[in-house]
Amino acid sequence: MSNDRYHTVGKSILRRGAKERLTGNPIFCADMEPENALYLKAVRSRHPHAGILGIDVSSAMSVPGVVQVFTAKDIPGKNLMGIINKDQPLLAEDKVRSLADPVALVAARTPGAADLAAAAVSVDYDPLPAVFDPEEAMAQDAPQIHAKGNVMVQKKVCRGDVTAAFDKAHTIIEKTYRTSAIEHTYLEPDAGIGFPDEDGTLVIYASTQNPHYDHKEVVSLLGVEDHAVRIIQAATGGGFGSKLDMNVQGFIGLALYHLKQPVRYVYTREEAFLATAKRHPFVIHMKTGADETGRITAMQMKAVCNTGAYGSYGIAVASRAAVHATGPYAIDNVNLECTAVYTNHPFCGAMRGFGTPQMALAHESQMDLHARALNMDPLEIRVLNGVKKGTVTATGQVLTDSVGFQDCLTAVQPEYEKAMKGWLSEPTPAYIRRGVGIGGMWYGIGNTGVQNPSTARVAMDREGQVTLFTGCADIGQGSTTVLSQIAGEALGLDAMDIHVVVADTKYTTNAGATSASRQTYISGNAVKQAADKLADVLLTEAVNYLKIRKSDLRLENGRVFDSRHPEKQVAFSRLAPRILDKGGELSWQGYFDPETVPLHPDTGEGIPYSTYAFACHAACVEVDVLTGETSVCRVIAAHDVGKAIHPENVIGQICGGVAMGVGFALMEEFVPGETISMNDYHIPTAADMPCVIPIIVEASEPSGPFGAKGVGEPALIPTAPAIINAVTHALGKRIYALPASLERVLDASIASGHFNNCYQES
Amino acid sequence: MTTMTCIRPENLDEAVDFLHHHGPDTHILAGGTDLMVDLRSGKHHRPYLLDTSRIDSLKTVQISDDLSRLSIGSGVTLTRINTLPLIKDHAPALHKCSFTFASRQIRNMATIGGNVAHASPCGDTIPPLVIHEAEAVVANKDGNRNIPLLEMNKGAYQSALHPEDLVVKFILQARQPGFSDFQKIGRRKALATSRMSMAVMADKDSQGCISFIRFSLGACTPTPQRMHDVESLFTGKIPSVKLINQGAGLLAEKMVEITGRRPSITYKEPAVQGLFKRMIYPMVTWCRQ
Amino acid sequence: MTQTRIPVQFILNGKKTAVDILPEQSALQVIRDELGMKGTKEGCGIGECGACTIEVNGQAVNACLMFGVQLDGCRVMTVEGLAEDGRLHPVQEKFLAGHAVQCGFCTPGLLMSTHALLGENPEPDDHQIVQAISGNICRCTGYQQIFSSVRAACGQSDQGSVRENQDSKEERC
Repeated sequence: MSNDRYHTVGKSILRRGAKERLTGNPIFCADMEPENALYLKAVRSRHPHAGILGIDVSSAMSVPGVVQVFTAKDIPGKNLMGIINKDQPLLAEDKVRSLADPVALVAARTPGAADLAAAAVSVDYDPLPAVFDPEEAMAQDAPQIHAKGNVMVQKKVCRGDVTAAFDKAHTIIEKTYRTSAIEHTYLEPDAGIGFPDEDGTLVIYASTQNPHYDHKEVVSLLGVEDHAVRIIQAATGGGFGSKLDMNVQGFIGLALYHLKQPVRYVYTREEAFLATAKRHPFVIHMKTGADETGRITAMQMKAVCNTGAYGSYGIAVASRAAVHATGPYAIDNVNLECTAVYTNHPFCGAMRGFGTPQMALAHESQMDLHARALNMDPLEIRVLNGVKKGTVTATGQVLTDSVGFQDCLTAVQPEYEKAMKGWLSEPTPAYIRRGVGIGGMWYGIGNTGVQNPSTARVAMDREGQVTLFTGCADIGQGSTTVLSQIAGEALGLDAMDIHVVVADTKYTTNAGATSASRQTYISGNAVKQAADKLADVLLTEAVNYLKIRKSDLRLENGRVFDSRHPEKQVAFSRLAPRILDKGGELSWQGYFDPETVPLHPDTGEGIPYSTYAFACHAACVEVDVLTGETSVCRVIAAHDVGKAIHPENVIGQICGGVAMGVGFALMEEFVPGETISMNDYHIPTAADMPCVIPIIVEASEPSGPFGAKGVGEPALIPTAPAIINAVTHALGKRIYALPASLERVLDASIASGHFNNCYQES
Repeated sequence: MTTMTCIRPENLDEAVDFLHHHGPDTHILAGGTDLMVDLRSGKHHRPYLLDTSRIDSLKTVQISDDLSRLSIGSGVTLTRINTLPLIKDHAPALHKCSFTFASRQIRNMATIGGNVAHASPCGDTIPPLVIHEAEAVVANKDGNRNIPLLEMNKGAYQSALHPEDLVVKFILQARQPGFSDFQKIGRRKALATSRMSMAVMADKDSQGCISFIRFSLGACTPTPQRMHDVESLFTGKIPSVKLINQGAGLLAEKMVEITGRRPSITYKEPAVQGLFKRMIYPMVTWCRQ
Repeated sequence: MTQTRIPVQFILNGKKTAVDILPEQSALQVIRDELGMKGTKEGCGIGECGACTIEVNGQAVNACLMFGVQLDGCRVMTVEGLAEDGRLHPVQEKFLAGHAVQCGFCTPGLLMSTHALLGENPEPDDHQIVQAISGNICRCTGYQQIFSSVRAACGQSDQGSVRENQDSKEERC
């Protein structure tokens, strides 16, 4: 793809904010210490499920250095939070539903005093029976966690005639898959600080993925006017979905409201593990039928996911799981259902992929099982079934543009074949077996079948300086750089010449969450629209100034010039005052909401997303048949991103996604009550990483900014299934539950006979 | 609020004298990499912190003139174990364990004395020390005494050391074996606690028969184990696949005898055999060279 | 209750530094809380993530696992000591140019691990690089751009090159 026609789009410019991070500037919340700040500490439940009969804070209040201890009754507004369904109190009122539930909040002058006081808060609990297994929680007589029952939501997608299709199928595969709870393990534990402004505004700096949502929620908790609260996103050390929830923001707001004094709350890693969302563990029953050519004709899928004590993003996870169950394959007859269930586990929420990575394990395993049953090559069966332009999806949506799945399959093919032919047959020690596996994925950009607009503002001052105002939280993925590039491209400016004001609710407008891989596509479009409007005003005024018709004018390097006679030009700085003096407008708002149609509640029919990203990974693994150790040696990762606005950022997302996929596949499992710290929860180190070969595929999306879609979540989704398929290839025995730990891999090695056959007397 | 007083003796006598008076109330700080974690996880804070880092005599590594005894000071870090030729030559399995020990940062701080005194079943230096029949030289006010490494731990995280004791050094039976190895299984390839570890060293006679062998198992049992039965099985024989498989079976049997059948045994029982085979199999070729 | 503070002196980023600390304070607390230098991060507090990596006498260590008193008499370097007069250190330059920074929370620790590595071994091979940085957890990048930046910092290869298939067999031993 030629980037030459673009000024800055498609170029890997230096990242905004990188220098501050490289030099250790105090830009994270934990680095900020407002003078006389009080330390906050939540008192958390000691029971997975219990009524609260009373809370006695008197001894906590007598701890020297304690300023105040808050309980639910101190919350002036609505004590309920949740981005989709509001079911989570900031501080528990009548009962606790998990070990992580906060029941009181201490504010003290020193961290030590806060800890002592938190331990001194006495809560009178009435323990209730608890339930942790989601399938058990669905039983009639299960302990009721919320008044509305334990089934939070059930999402269905149906199309065609599944029964008839199974009757006609040549091969039917029916399996059950399980995935583990995953801790996001972003490197920066959640943190925030707050202080009252000169005018009394409660200012909160937070490590967050969605400052405008935080704002709405804090306003609602405190029952105050919008302008009384200002949220500023501090540098955010990763999020991966967990910092979409209110973590410390509500606590800081509550303390600020009452004490009108600076406060800070920095979670320890242990508290971040205990108190923040996890990836939903899934149980997936999947049945697929294929004809004799390998074409998948029917899929039935029933999944149950454990949302724990609260909903968070659980509804989105359930609906996305149902919609994505088919994977990137054309299947005419489907009956898909995903149920999200409350239990007494700490809550689960959004994590990179919203149920899609879990679903990908199932559909990609099924694909390989069908291939094996029909003696087909795994890549071949994917080519046969893979979506293309014109494919009708499970929700009845016709894919019309930017359908790059087949291109991704083609892109990995050479390396895949090289691995299958050359690498596999290289000599290895007797205890090592090699395998190659494929994983495919699709991912709808943005929220599922609901409005999820973004807004942005691009403004020029009298001197011609352009500033981009965006509410989009850059949590490390590089959105501020990419959005600057988009604005710069529209205005013919270098991205770095644009000033940015990011994620500050006083100055920016809502860009929605940094989630669902939506910011490049949705906020990118909003930014582009605003910048285009400004560009048009500049062009119009340049017509007056240069006396050249608009269609001949171009914007570049802060000036407008005649494309036929480039020496005829005028600088922005000259145009800006002329426009302003005429009463013209130099500040423009952009708005973009992807075209979707809500899904029918019974059939799931509709248009959940206006565009999809596609990818295919091939993984090469070595399995030690004697110990169950698995090494991922190589991952070839082809991603259709529409257009890579910043190729190195895309590569960074792909490699980071692969790392998270390696963890999901082989080692990560959060066990509530047992997983306490990073000592008990292992994520991949540099030594665990394969060599990643990223391949960028650009099936341009007409509705995307310069053709772009998204890549954040897609990067992770195909890795684990590719690894599991590779391990299966190596051992000839499949693993159906993640992670494929030492224990599970060794089991498979024993079951396949490789363990016993290694080093046998000849 | 806890208060702690830090004592930084310049020599061994001062340290021993202090421990004589305040041993039970003292945390001994060697590298600190385990102590800090214990304190954070809520372990009782004692009033005194005895920092041994200034005591140079704890940091020496020496070999006896006849090359039979290697002495490694308790304050020697894992990084020095990794880089000192003396250790590489005369205790090669110990040298090898230092590559995969935790992380570079921890290796730079953590000491061999701390690793042993912490009494974790997963201490990576322990199996290599055991095969060298190491003894800890322990000082207290009554003088020095030697404790064989196998007697250092009474149970998981229960050291046989008294609060007044300070480990001065380890004396190893130095050897430049023809064959040696250390291997471990972790849940990832760095920064991983050993799920299982083992160390071996061996020599052969002119016929290719095993004339000397020491084998030790780590992390599988509450205290470190030297596996005499496995050693006896191999002694005097030319290793073959059959012998190795027999040894693997015997090892698993002995391990289960010690641990009993806990849930984790489902993995450990085959894995201990697998790791043993992987580690010992190269002996077949070596003995035929 | 007032606690007895003890004086410690060390060279911090080339400057003589004297500070009175509490015995139980970690080196990380001394640097962040007592000296107010926030470049060194706390990611886990137990030596499992490497975000707090500093250099002590030329060696990379986890500041969270070190007692403040252990700094006494040492030559200490933190991320703030890398750039001089606002000019980035070559290692920082390579990280910047190599797109090795995403969220940036692990970055200071990784820079210090890299700096210590290059101090000890100016020409490390790939295996030695992995050994030196595998005590630093990064959740964003998958390490590949970090790895190639470290390589570039020791003058080994162009930025952006892919690491050759790192064979695990050697490392597993």
